[in-house]
Amino acid sequence: MSSGPRRWSAAIVALLACAGAHAADDAAAVPSARVKGVTHTIAIDGTAYVPALLTVKRGDTVSWINKDPFPHTVTARGGAFDSKTIAAGKSWRYVARHAGDFRYFCTLHPTMTGTLKVE
Amino acid sequence: MKMASLLFASTLLAAGGALAQGGPTDAQIAHIVVTANQVDIDAGKLAESKASHKDVKAFGKQMVTDHTGVNKQAQDLVKKLNVKPEDNATSQSLKQGGDANLAKLKGLTGNAFDKAYVDNEVTYHQAVIDAMDKTLIPNAKNDELKGLLTKVRPAFVAHLEHAKQMQASLGK
Repeated sequence: MSSGPRRWSAAIVALLACAGAHAADDAAAVPSARVKGVTHTIAIDGTAYVPALLTVKRGDTVSWINKDPFPHTVTARGGAFDSKTIAAGKSWRYVARHAGDFRYFCTLHPTMTGTLKVE
Repeated sequence: MKMASLLFASTLLAAGGALAQGGPTDAQIAHIVVTANQVDIDAGKLAESKASHKDVKAFGKQMVTDHTGVNKQAQDLVKKLNVKPEDNATSQSLKQGGDANLAKLKGLTGNAFDKAYVDNEVTYHQAVIDAMDKTLIPNAKNDELKGLLTKVRPAFVAHLEHAKQMQASLGK
């Protein structure tokens, strides 16, 4: 979210520094899909993360939806993120700002594991 | 110390065997599922109030939450399918085993309570998983009932692993 205003000020600076035509080229160089990021969904179903492995780009949002009739958590082993309790039928969103491989598990059901790859 | 646990395992298996001749009907399976969850909810409630180790307390609380969730889903399905859960020998021995376990746990305090509760959770979850694999899932005729059993099975496995981890750390 914070990249929005920054991007605008960059565009304004470009507009002031160059002619209008150049500023338009500058804006076009930023792929629009990456500005807001894509939202991916991981189901928590049958005491498992589906899919268990997901690769996303930095800036993307990942939403875990708990389809089981009891709570789960999405907890990164290194502490990078922790949903805490996600109640039955609820979801939790995480914006993947940092690149890396994040292995996560459910603190309530330690047999549940998943990996989020952020490129 | 392990009497109640052994009682659980043997009654479940014996009752499973007794029913295996014709195999339980869907109405009986539904009753067994609800009873099996209720037995663990009752033990969990006791652990929630009586356990001394915070992990054991938290586990008891989670068993109440998880098995209540499973039972709600089972009861919703039973209503949807218009099946009337039917009492049977397996349900009755599960209830008796559960009552015997509660009676035993009520007489214990401190570490002895924690250990006995966790030991029983290990044995009980293993016995329920075995019953699901050998009797309940193979005999379920309705696809949605079979699907529900298959879907909740991994949660029972997770509970078993969690209980085993606690059993190992309490043993130290």
